[in-house]
Amino acid sequence: MSKALSQDEFFTQLATLLEKTQQKGHGSVFLTQKRLSHDTSAKSPPPGTKVADDPLWDLNPPNPLPILIRATDGDSQSKDKVKNKNKVKLSTVVQPDDIEAFFARYAEVCKAGMQSLKKRDRSKRKKDKSKKKKTGDEKK
Amino acid sequence: MVLLETSQEWQTQTSRLLQARPTTTRITTKYNIPNLESERYEKKLNKKRKRDDEKEADAPKVPLATLELKTYDPESGVVLKFKTNRAAEVGRLITSLGTLGRYMAALPVKEEAQDVAMEDAEPAVDETKDTTPAAPSTNDAKPQQGGGGGGNKKKKKGKK
Repeated sequence: MSKALSQDEFFTQLATLLEKTQQKGHGSVFLTQKRLSHDTSAKSPPPGTKVADDPLWDLNPPNPLPILIRATDGDSQSKDKVKNKNKVKLSTVVQPDDIEAFFARYAEVCKAGMQSLKKRDRSKRKKDKSKKKKTGDEKK
Repeated sequence: MVLLETSQEWQTQTSRLLQARPTTTRITTKYNIPNLESERYEKKLNKKRKRDDEKEADAPKVPLATLELKTYDPESGVVLKFKTNRAAEVGRLITSLGTLGRYMAALPVKEEAQDVAMEDAEPAVDETKDTTPAAPSTNDAKPQQGGGGGGNKKKKKGKK
Protein backbone atom coordinates (compact mmCIF):
# COMPACT_ATOMS: atom_id res chain seq x y z
CA MET A 1 0.00 0.00 0.00
CA SER A 2 1.18 3.46 -0.75
CA LYS A 3 2.32 5.62 2.11
CA ALA A 4 0.02 8.14 3.72
CA LEU A 5 0.40 11.60 2.24
CA SER A 6 0.41 14.92 4.02
CA GLN A 7 -2.88 16.78 3.85
CA ASP A 8 -1.58 19.34 1.36
CA GLU A 9 -0.27 16.68 -0.97
CA PHE A 10 -3.43 14.65 -0.63
CA PHE A 11 -5.60 17.58 -1.66
CA THR A 12 -3.48 18.55 -4.66
CA GLN A 13 -3.41 14.97 -5.90
CA LEU A 14 -7.11 14.51 -5.27
CA ALA A 15 -7.80 17.65 -7.29
CA THR A 16 -5.70 16.29 -10.15
CA LEU A 17 -7.49 12.94 -9.96
CA LEU A 18 -10.90 14.61 -10.15
CA GLU A 19 -9.79 16.80 -13.02
CA LYS A 20 -8.40 13.84 -14.92
CA THR A 21 -11.71 12.01 -14.61
CA GLN A 22 -13.53 15.12 -15.72
CA GLN A 23 -11.40 15.51 -18.82
CA LYS A 24 -11.63 11.84 -19.69
CA GLY A 25 -15.40 12.29 -19.78
CA HIS A 26 -16.23 9.13 -17.87
CA GLY A 27 -15.00 7.13 -14.91
CA SER A 28 -15.28 7.08 -11.15
CA VAL A 29 -13.52 8.39 -8.12
CA PHE A 30 -13.88 6.52 -4.84
CA LEU A 31 -13.35 8.25 -1.52
CA THR A 32 -13.31 6.20 1.65
CA GLN A 33 -13.07 7.13 5.29
CA LYS A 34 -12.73 4.91 8.32
CA ARG A 35 -11.29 4.84 11.79
CA LEU A 36 -7.57 4.17 11.85
CA SER A 37 -7.58 1.25 14.25
CA HIS A 38 -3.98 0.13 14.09
CA ASP A 39 -1.34 2.37 15.55
CA THR A 40 1.27 3.70 13.15
CA SER A 41 3.76 4.66 15.84
CA ALA A 42 5.28 1.72 17.66
CA LYS A 43 5.70 3.58 20.94
CA SER A 44 2.24 3.47 22.44
CA PRO A 45 0.24 0.25 22.58
CA PRO A 46 -2.48 0.03 19.93
CA PRO A 47 -5.60 1.73 21.23
CA GLY A 48 -7.97 -0.63 19.51
CA THR A 49 -6.85 -4.06 20.64
CA LYS A 50 -9.69 -6.45 20.48
CA VAL A 51 -10.74 -7.97 23.78
CA ALA A 52 -12.26 -11.33 23.16
CA ASP A 53 -14.74 -11.46 26.01
CA ASP A 54 -16.00 -7.90 25.56
CA PRO A 55 -18.03 -7.39 22.38
CA LEU A 56 -18.22 -3.66 23.06
CA TRP A 57 -14.46 -3.26 23.30
CA ASP A 58 -14.27 -0.49 20.73
CA LEU A 59 -17.10 1.74 21.92
CA ASN A 60 -15.21 3.83 24.44
CA PRO A 61 -11.56 4.18 23.50
CA PRO A 62 -9.53 6.13 26.06
CA ASN A 63 -8.26 8.60 23.47
CA PRO A 64 -9.73 9.99 20.25
CA LEU A 65 -8.44 8.09 17.23
CA PRO A 66 -7.25 9.41 13.89
CA ILE A 67 -9.26 8.62 10.78
CA LEU A 68 -7.97 7.31 7.49
CA ILE A 69 -9.03 8.85 4.19
CA ARG A 70 -8.47 7.05 0.92
CA ALA A 71 -9.03 8.06 -2.67
CA THR A 72 -8.77 5.91 -5.77
CA ASP A 73 -9.87 5.88 -9.40
CA GLY A 74 -11.12 2.33 -9.08
CA ASP A 75 -9.24 1.14 -12.17
CA SER A 76 -7.79 -1.96 -10.61
CA GLN A 77 -8.15 -4.01 -13.78
CA SER A 78 -7.96 -3.05 -17.40
CA LYS A 79 -10.35 -4.62 -19.88
CA ASP A 80 -8.26 -7.70 -20.56
CA LYS A 81 -8.18 -8.62 -16.86
CA VAL A 82 -4.60 -7.50 -16.42
CA LYS A 83 -3.72 -5.73 -13.23
CA ASN A 84 -3.52 -2.02 -13.89
CA LYS A 85 -0.19 -0.64 -12.81
CA ASN A 86 -1.30 2.95 -13.19
CA LYS A 87 -4.08 2.73 -10.65
CA VAL A 88 -4.22 5.90 -8.59
CA LYS A 89 -4.26 5.33 -4.85
CA LEU A 90 -4.04 8.14 -2.34
CA SER A 91 -4.38 8.08 1.39
CA THR A 92 -3.94 10.42 4.30
CA VAL A 93 -4.40 10.26 8.04
CA VAL A 94 -6.42 12.96 9.78
CA GLN A 95 -5.74 13.55 13.44
CA PRO A 96 -8.80 14.15 15.65
CA ASP A 97 -7.86 17.81 16.13
CA ASP A 98 -7.70 18.45 12.40
CA ILE A 99 -11.03 16.95 11.42
CA GLU A 100 -12.94 20.18 11.03
CA ALA A 101 -10.23 21.96 9.06
CA PHE A 102 -9.73 18.89 6.88
CA PHE A 103 -13.36 18.47 5.93
CA ALA A 104 -13.79 22.16 5.19
CA ARG A 105 -10.99 21.88 2.63
CA TYR A 106 -12.23 18.50 1.47
CA ALA A 107 -15.61 20.02 0.67
CA GLU A 108 -13.98 22.78 -1.37
CA VAL A 109 -11.88 20.35 -3.39
CA CYS A 110 -14.88 18.10 -4.07
CA LYS A 111 -17.15 20.98 -5.03
CA ALA A 112 -14.53 22.25 -7.44
CA GLY A 113 -13.77 18.83 -8.88
CA MET A 114 -17.22 17.32 -9.33
CA GLN A 115 -18.34 19.44 -12.24
CA SER A 116 -20.51 16.91 -14.06
CA LEU A 117 -23.24 16.87 -11.47
CA LYS A 118 -26.48 18.63 -12.23
CA LYS A 119 -26.21 22.32 -11.51
CA ARG A 120 -29.06 24.24 -10.04
CA ASP A 121 -31.40 24.93 -12.92
CA ARG A 122 -31.65 28.67 -13.42
CA SER A 123 -31.78 28.63 -17.20
CA LYS A 124 -35.58 28.65 -17.41
CA ARG A 125 -36.00 31.82 -15.42
CA LYS A 126 -33.24 33.55 -17.33
CA LYS A 127 -34.82 32.65 -20.64
CA ASP A 128 -38.16 34.03 -19.53
CA LYS A 129 -36.56 37.26 -18.42
CA SER A 130 -34.66 37.74 -21.65
CA LYS A 131 -37.81 37.05 -23.64
CA LYS A 132 -39.69 39.64 -21.67
CA LYS A 133 -36.92 42.12 -22.24
CA LYS A 134 -36.93 41.47 -25.95
CA THR A 135 -40.67 41.88 -26.25
CA GLY A 136 -40.40 45.05 -24.22
CA ASP A 137 -37.80 46.42 -26.59
CA GLU A 138 -39.90 45.60 -29.60
CA LYS A 139 -42.84 47.51 -28.21
CA LYS A 140 -40.68 50.57 -27.81
CA MET B 1 -28.93 -3.04 1.30
CA VAL B 2 -30.95 0.02 2.14
CA LEU B 3 -31.28 2.93 -0.26
CA LEU B 4 -32.30 5.99 1.69
CA GLU B 5 -34.40 8.79 0.26
CA THR B 6 -32.80 11.82 1.85
CA SER B 7 -29.25 12.70 2.82
CA GLN B 8 -30.49 13.61 6.27
CA GLU B 9 -31.88 10.13 6.78
CA TRP B 10 -28.68 8.59 5.51
CA GLN B 11 -26.72 10.65 7.98
CA THR B 12 -28.82 9.69 11.00
CA GLN B 13 -28.78 5.99 10.13
CA THR B 14 -25.04 6.09 9.50
CA SER B 15 -24.39 7.84 12.79
CA ARG B 16 -26.32 5.10 14.56
CA LEU B 17 -24.31 2.41 12.84
CA LEU B 18 -21.10 4.23 13.68
CA GLN B 19 -22.06 4.48 17.30
CA ALA B 20 -22.61 0.73 17.41
CA ARG B 21 -19.58 -0.27 15.33
CA PRO B 22 -17.12 2.60 15.20
CA THR B 23 -14.07 0.56 14.23
CA THR B 24 -15.28 -1.58 11.38
CA THR B 25 -17.73 0.76 9.65
CA ARG B 26 -16.46 2.63 6.62
CA ILE B 27 -17.98 5.27 4.38
CA THR B 28 -17.28 5.27 0.66
CA THR B 29 -18.17 8.18 -1.58
CA LYS B 30 -18.33 7.34 -5.26
CA TYR B 31 -18.30 10.06 -7.87
CA ASN B 32 -19.16 8.54 -11.22
CA ILE B 33 -19.33 10.00 -14.71
CA PRO B 34 -20.93 7.36 -16.93
CA ASN B 35 -19.35 6.38 -20.21
CA LEU B 36 -21.61 7.55 -23.02
CA GLU B 37 -20.40 4.83 -25.35
CA SER B 38 -20.96 1.95 -22.97
CA GLU B 39 -23.89 -0.36 -23.69
CA ARG B 40 -25.09 -0.21 -20.15
CA TYR B 41 -25.64 3.52 -20.27
CA GLU B 42 -27.48 3.34 -23.57
CA LYS B 43 -29.82 0.68 -22.25
CA LYS B 44 -30.56 2.86 -19.27
CA LEU B 45 -31.33 5.83 -21.50
CA ASN B 46 -33.57 3.78 -23.76
CA LYS B 47 -35.52 2.52 -20.79
CA LYS B 48 -36.04 6.06 -19.60
CA ARG B 49 -37.18 7.17 -23.01
CA LYS B 50 -39.73 4.40 -23.17
CA ARG B 51 -41.07 5.29 -19.76
CA ASP B 52 -41.62 8.98 -20.35
CA ASP B 53 -41.35 9.66 -24.05
CA GLU B 54 -41.68 13.37 -24.43
CA LYS B 55 -39.54 14.45 -21.52
CA GLU B 56 -36.44 12.43 -22.30
CA ALA B 57 -36.65 12.36 -26.07
CA ASP B 58 -34.92 15.68 -26.50
CA ALA B 59 -32.49 15.11 -23.65
CA PRO B 60 -29.00 16.19 -24.61
CA LYS B 61 -26.28 13.57 -24.80
CA VAL B 62 -24.38 14.76 -21.78
CA PRO B 63 -23.25 12.27 -19.17
CA LEU B 64 -25.17 12.76 -15.96
CA ALA B 65 -22.76 12.20 -13.15
CA THR B 66 -23.85 10.73 -9.84
CA LEU B 67 -22.57 10.93 -6.32
CA GLU B 68 -23.20 7.92 -4.14
CA LEU B 69 -22.61 7.65 -0.43
CA LYS B 70 -22.29 4.17 0.96
CA THR B 71 -21.83 3.07 4.54
CA TYR B 72 -20.67 -0.48 5.01
CA ASP B 73 -19.96 -2.49 8.10
CA PRO B 74 -18.33 -5.81 7.16
CA GLU B 75 -18.96 -7.29 10.57
CA SER B 76 -22.74 -7.03 10.53
CA GLY B 77 -23.08 -6.71 6.76
CA VAL B 78 -25.11 -3.51 6.93
CA VAL B 79 -25.13 -1.31 3.84
CA LEU B 80 -26.70 2.13 3.78
CA LYS B 81 -26.78 4.05 0.52
CA PHE B 82 -27.74 7.47 -0.70
CA LYS B 83 -27.56 8.69 -4.27
CA THR B 84 -27.78 12.13 -5.77
CA ASN B 85 -26.93 13.97 -8.97
CA ARG B 86 -27.22 17.52 -7.67
CA ALA B 87 -24.11 19.64 -7.42
CA ALA B 88 -25.76 21.81 -4.79
CA GLU B 89 -25.64 18.94 -2.32
CA VAL B 90 -21.91 18.23 -2.47
CA GLY B 91 -20.94 20.77 0.16
CA ARG B 92 -23.58 19.65 2.60
CA LEU B 93 -22.73 15.97 2.11
CA ILE B 94 -19.03 16.47 2.76
CA THR B 95 -19.87 18.44 5.88
CA SER B 96 -21.97 15.52 7.07
CA LEU B 97 -19.00 13.24 6.34
CA GLY B 98 -17.05 15.47 8.71
CA THR B 99 -19.70 15.17 11.39
CA LEU B 100 -19.65 11.41 10.97
CA GLY B 101 -15.87 11.49 11.08
CA ARG B 102 -16.16 12.71 14.65
CA TYR B 103 -17.90 9.45 15.57
CA MET B 104 -15.08 7.51 13.93
CA ALA B 105 -12.47 9.48 15.82
CA ALA B 106 -14.40 8.94 19.06
CA LEU B 107 -14.69 12.66 19.64
CA PRO B 108 -17.57 14.08 21.65
CA VAL B 109 -20.48 14.99 19.39
CA LYS B 110 -21.25 18.65 19.05
CA GLU B 111 -24.81 18.67 17.92
CA GLU B 112 -25.65 22.02 19.37
CA ALA B 113 -22.77 23.69 17.62
CA GLN B 114 -24.60 23.37 14.33
CA ASP B 115 -27.45 25.56 15.47
CA VAL B 116 -25.31 28.20 17.09
CA ALA B 117 -23.91 31.11 15.11
CA MET B 118 -20.24 31.04 14.21
CA GLU B 119 -19.22 33.61 16.83
CA ASP B 120 -20.47 31.31 19.54
CA ALA B 121 -18.90 28.23 18.01
CA GLU B 122 -15.38 29.58 17.81
CA PRO B 123 -14.58 29.75 21.51
CA ALA B 124 -15.83 26.19 21.84
CA VAL B 125 -13.28 25.03 19.26
CA ASP B 126 -10.49 26.82 21.11
CA GLU B 127 -11.45 25.11 24.31
CA THR B 128 -11.18 21.63 22.86
CA LYS B 129 -7.82 22.54 21.37
CA ASP B 130 -6.59 23.64 24.78
CA THR B 131 -7.53 20.39 26.44
CA THR B 132 -6.26 17.95 23.83
CA PRO B 133 -2.48 18.51 24.05
CA ALA B 134 -2.55 17.22 27.60
CA ALA B 135 -4.60 14.21 26.60
CA PRO B 136 -2.11 11.64 25.28
CA SER B 137 0.07 11.60 28.39
CA THR B 138 -2.62 10.92 30.98
CA ASN B 139 -5.32 8.34 31.27
CA ASP B 140 -7.97 10.74 32.49
CA ALA B 141 -8.07 12.41 29.08
CA LYS B 142 -11.59 11.18 28.50
CA PRO B 143 -13.20 12.60 31.64
CA GLN B 144 -11.32 15.83 31.04
CA GLN B 145 -12.69 16.14 27.56
CA GLY B 146 -16.10 15.04 28.60
CA GLY B 147 -16.03 17.74 31.22
CA GLY B 148 -15.01 20.26 28.59
CA GLY B 149 -17.85 19.20 26.32
CA GLY B 150 -20.30 19.40 29.17
CA GLY B 151 -19.05 22.86 29.94
CA ASN B 152 -19.71 23.93 26.40
CA LYS B 153 -23.24 22.64 26.50
CA LYS B 154 -23.96 24.36 29.76
CA LYS B 155 -22.61 27.62 28.45
CA LYS B 156 -24.76 27.50 25.37
CA LYS B 157 -27.82 26.65 27.33
CA GLY B 158 -27.10 29.57 29.62
CA LYS B 159 -26.82 31.93 26.67
CA LYS B 160 -30.17 30.88 25.37
